[in-house]
Amino acid sequence: MCDSCGCQTAHDHQDPLVIEVNKNLLEANERQARSNRSQIEKMGAVAVNLISSPGAGKTTLLEQTIDRLAGDLKIGVIEGDIETERDAERIRAKGVAAVQLTTGGACHLDAPLVHQGLHQLARTDGPWFDLIFIENVGNLVCPAAFDLGEHRRVVLVSVPEGSDKPAKYPTTFRGADLFVITKTDLLPYFDFDPDEAVRAAGRIREGLTTLTLSAQDGTGMDAWLNWLMGLTNERSAA
Amino acid sequence: MHELSLAQALLDQLRELAAEHGAESVKRAEVLVGPASGVVTDSFVFGFSALRLDHPVTRDCELCIVSPARTFRCPACSHEFSDRKDSAPFRNPLARGPDCPACGGRDCLETSSSELILKHVEME
Repeated sequence: MCDSCGCQTAHDHQDPLVIEVNKNLLEANERQARSNRSQIEKMGAVAVNLISSPGAGKTTLLEQTIDRLAGDLKIGVIEGDIETERDAERIRAKGVAAVQLTTGGACHLDAPLVHQGLHQLARTDGPWFDLIFIENVGNLVCPAAFDLGEHRRVVLVSVPEGSDKPAKYPTTFRGADLFVITKTDLLPYFDFDPDEAVRAAGRIREGLTTLTLSAQDGTGMDAWLNWLMGLTNERSAA
Repeated sequence: MHELSLAQALLDQLRELAAEHGAESVKRAEVLVGPASGVVTDSFVFGFSALRLDHPVTRDCELCIVSPARTFRCPACSHEFSDRKDSAPFRNPLARGPDCPACGGRDCLETSSSELILKHVEME
């Protein structure tokens, strides 16, 4: 009897083996991201993944955030860039542990890279942290597909980039937990319509919270800091 | 986007599956690409066809892409519907959403999936 189909006469089966898989294409990344998340929680921290195009002001916002919060919270930063240690050096100058991940060309961070970053961070200034920032490679497209193990994902658009960015880069906004419009001190000089940006972002992700701020003159910084404090309070209550 | 990384991740997964099932070669892989995934299918297929040659197990593998229709929800009556006609990948992103076929409500919100799923695999 044929072993594969149960028919009475033995015969050659040309039919290929068909397997139902139903797995995410980025399964390996997702697996590592889940493990990163539990590692971050074991470090006592909550992690925030910052995504924006290059030059939207991620590092400047971090510098100002550290100035305001480092007295109350133990902060660590993982910097993603294609090349150079520059961003990590800027953060270290603020007296906070920073690890620079250079992707050597890749347009996004992935969970295995961040896993290495977490170990380096723990070695540098660990093991305990309250708040870990992961500053992604400047890119409003590719980072969207890669869960890094963060607890919240923040998308930033700066005023000079234009208020059409949420409509043009919907995938990134679809996965966001917070939308931050930066460099609002430049609003008088650019044709940026905050209502248009907020409306477009809301069409892509209903109920998405938006904050507008300027790290330069400090406008709107309190709401951002409160949002971060809320996260760490949630974490320590859990 | 990062279609080449995705193609590489898919091929890694296919080689693992082949090893797991003792198969010599993978003949066909069916992948669901959600309309909101942001993946450019042509680049993904191109990357796959180049990278599959790196390994004898995947050398002859055919990639079959399943693209579901885009789905929408009416903000007025909450009716959910899919729209094949509106599936052009480079539709003007600033344009309004389609009208609701149930109540005629304007500017329906897109609810398409952003999944990338390896559905099934044929091996020998």
